[in-house]
Amino acid sequence: MKHLTLRFRAVQTAAILGGISLLVAACGNTTSTTSGLATKQVLKFPVYQSAGTFDPGEADAEVDTEIMQNVFSNLWKFDDKLNLVPDLATDVPSSSNNGVSSDGLTYTVHLKQNVKFNNGDSFSSKDVLYSWNRAAALQGAYASNLSAIAGFDAVQKAAGAPPSSKNSAGVTSFRQTLENKLASNDPSLQMSGLSAPDANTVKITLANPCGWCLTAWSLQGSTGSIVNQKAVQTDPENWWSKVVTPGQEGGMVGTGPFYMSAYTAKQSLTFKSVSNWWGSPKPTLTEVDIAIHDPSAIAGDVTAWEQGSYDLIGYGGNSGNLTYPLIQGIKGNSRFANQLITQPKGRTTWLSFNVGYPSTGGPFVGESAAAKGLRKAFALAVDKNDLAKTVCHDVQCSAATGGLITKGLIGYLGDNADPLAKFDPTQAKSLLQQYDPTGKLTANLKYSYNTGGLNDPVASYLQNAWQTNLGVKVNLDPSSDASQFISNRLSGKYVMARDGWQFDYNHPQDWYDNLWGYLATASGANTSGFDDPTYDSVLKQADQQPISQALSEYNQLAKILSDDVVYIPLYYSVANFAIRSYLKGAGSNTQADFYWNEISIQSH
Amino acid sequence: MLTRGTLIYIGQRLVLILFTVLMVSFGVFYVVHLLPGNAFVSDRVHGRALQLLLHQYGLDLPIPVQYWNWLKGIFLHGSLGVSLYIRGLPITPLVLRELSVSAMLGGAALIITIGLGVTFGVLAAVRQNSWVDYLLTSIAVVGYSVPSFVIASLGILIFGQWLNNVTNGGIYYPEPWTGTYGTLAELSLPALALGFYTSGQITRITRAAMLDVIQQDYIRTARAKGLVNRVVILRHALRNALVPVTSILGPTVIGIITGSVVIENIFGIPGLGKEFVESIFQHDYNVTVGVFTIYAVLIGFANLGVDLVYTVVDPRIRY
Repeated sequence: MKHLTLRFRAVQTAAILGGISLLVAACGNTTSTTSGLATKQVLKFPVYQSAGTFDPGEADAEVDTEIMQNVFSNLWKFDDKLNLVPDLATDVPSSSNNGVSSDGLTYTVHLKQNVKFNNGDSFSSKDVLYSWNRAAALQGAYASNLSAIAGFDAVQKAAGAPPSSKNSAGVTSFRQTLENKLASNDPSLQMSGLSAPDANTVKITLANPCGWCLTAWSLQGSTGSIVNQKAVQTDPENWWSKVVTPGQEGGMVGTGPFYMSAYTAKQSLTFKSVSNWWGSPKPTLTEVDIAIHDPSAIAGDVTAWEQGSYDLIGYGGNSGNLTYPLIQGIKGNSRFANQLITQPKGRTTWLSFNVGYPSTGGPFVGESAAAKGLRKAFALAVDKNDLAKTVCHDVQCSAATGGLITKGLIGYLGDNADPLAKFDPTQAKSLLQQYDPTGKLTANLKYSYNTGGLNDPVASYLQNAWQTNLGVKVNLDPSSDASQFISNRLSGKYVMARDGWQFDYNHPQDWYDNLWGYLATASGANTSGFDDPTYDSVLKQADQQPISQALSEYNQLAKILSDDVVYIPLYYSVANFAIRSYLKGAGSNTQADFYWNEISIQSH
Repeated sequence: MLTRGTLIYIGQRLVLILFTVLMVSFGVFYVVHLLPGNAFVSDRVHGRALQLLLHQYGLDLPIPVQYWNWLKGIFLHGSLGVSLYIRGLPITPLVLRELSVSAMLGGAALIITIGLGVTFGVLAAVRQNSWVDYLLTSIAVVGYSVPSFVIASLGILIFGQWLNNVTNGGIYYPEPWTGTYGTLAELSLPALALGFYTSGQITRITRAAMLDVIQQDYIRTARAKGLVNRVVILRHALRNALVPVTSILGPTVIGIITGSVVIENIFGIPGLGKEFVESIFQHDYNVTVGVFTIYAVLIGFANLGVDLVYTVVDPRIRY
């Protein structure tokens, strides 16, 4: 009996000691160093979409590039205030530092000499040539960022179309063929405008002067990013999904401050900081753990964030996922209210009129006074401020009153500067009476949109606004399949449709070229079918000039679009982040999350 | 011991499974490729970039040619192809991992189904016309009358909302699945929701079979020999009563496999069922077809397994 009692006491003591050590372990984050930093520098957050690809030559989604910007570097990058600053290059080329020739056609780029890839390889000018030639040959969605470089078209032509016989098990693929050619320095895949006079200099020659190129080449996680040839060649199809293992070839190798150390598709991603990274600031975080969740899990994630399981929510291109009730919940909790960070997001949503597809467009097609008048009637009948208040509660969006380019970006026209943002139901009604007195033209109109997010309440709001202010019943045409909706819109199969754009880089060219310009028309992206020779000619001229000279011409384009009533401005998106107060350096600008190497976890 | 007849039977069934899988996979392959939209198109990907991607993944080929290429990948390389949504990612490891998650859930649900069903059925029969019988029979009626998604939703409401403070998340916590196989707490409610429906059917059948068996002469003889009731029920009555139960094991397993599509989506469990639905919305054709094909194989083998179990439970059955 005595023996049993002693044994029980021993077990009890062990349990108490175990409990204490568990408590100590659980409170690991609260242990601080003398500098105020938490001992454990592991950042944890959820994302709500799997990576499509982390290959800079092909990436086309913000959810991917937000992560890639911490692994790959460009020659230049945007700082937290969206200023262009040197990254792999020693400076930003300009005519004053002799980086840009007087005719604006040649850029001389000097590279930093201490740069290393995170597999230990040294970085040189050859890596820039390889990465950019490869990106041009891959012909991804952002290959056009390099299109001004001499020889770009020839490389795309030489690369040809990918074979359709590929599979995952050994058939020589398009990418494999490209890699073989690039490895052998096949001249057909070398842009003639790209050369490397020495290991630390790159010379870029353009076919035409280009005022927007420098910003486009600096777009994070995209065609201007530098990849490691050796790593890509180990598995041209899937190198980006492989982890980097010290001492082994291959994996998602970049020159950034973090590398991918674990990846379970559709489940989780882990990144570790590169020890002795060449850049600045040196990463304080040692690890970043990302959980890939279904969007429906966000309510549970907010609870987990409040309980400390996650440090932030909204990073990785997910700043629009917090719903209004969740935002209100955080705001209403005195402990967390100041940890909700609201930030304008560089995305504008508008309504596109079908102005260029007569067979499918309805009464808004064309440039007749009646078509324009009706477009304007529908635009003036919508109270944009009330829409932002009703639909977004002035939390998830703000009224788009300063033109198509979002507030805070180059090209923003100024508050209330867009005449189409006005709300004038009297004039709207009068225009409708003038151009459609019988109501025949505006009978059976449809507004098409993809469901989800704010799109449904916005559609209902518009329907009510037109019914109330114009007396016109517009039918809603929702599509639960976004890809089908976008396909229809791109091919002009709509009358009025939800439309929008999230800027890539801070330059008006990103908007005016990609949406209504000759490039958009040529690539099938001009959804409204708007086609105006004056617009194209002003655009071409503006694109070739430095932004300081081109801005007035871009503003002229804005005027052409609003005069023609191609769109109805609706709202600017607002990003919402839940960021625990012990995170220093975390946040976002209108374009992207702040870089991970700027973040540190304070003791808490 | 497998007899020659049994081996021939297994061979015939394997051929039948292969034929069924081919038919099912082609049907699904054809239908999903007819759906409007595709995995690539977006505000950024259109025009030439879109055409190149479609061409690269062979999606501009005639559907029979695409199917033939897909079949070649399976038979020559053991590959279900690559994902279109996560571009180029081989999907075989992905779906195998998800299969293991679904198997975990399905296995737990099967234990609940058989465990609850047989226990309730035996107790109800042994205590026939008592309050125990009425209670258990009523639970069984509720079980097979209420669809699993209703049980799941009620479970979330009760344990995730109303009793969350009481259980402290011990039964259900509205957090995403935390690991490859989840935790017992995460698994308990989904498995119950998935298994409860069929456990009601098993309760009914077990009860009826037990009532039939315990009135047989050999049971009376066993009791006359002085055996205690527990031994009589468990050793002599239950085994014979399980023969009709075995006959519905096939449909039960199939019900659990197909039911997991709904349950995994309700609870956010990263198994095959959730993947199946997601892949349809994402136009990730290879994943959809791969998952459906795996389902067809599983159902084929589940039926075969049940047929073989018959011979063990009832030695009179020969193939």
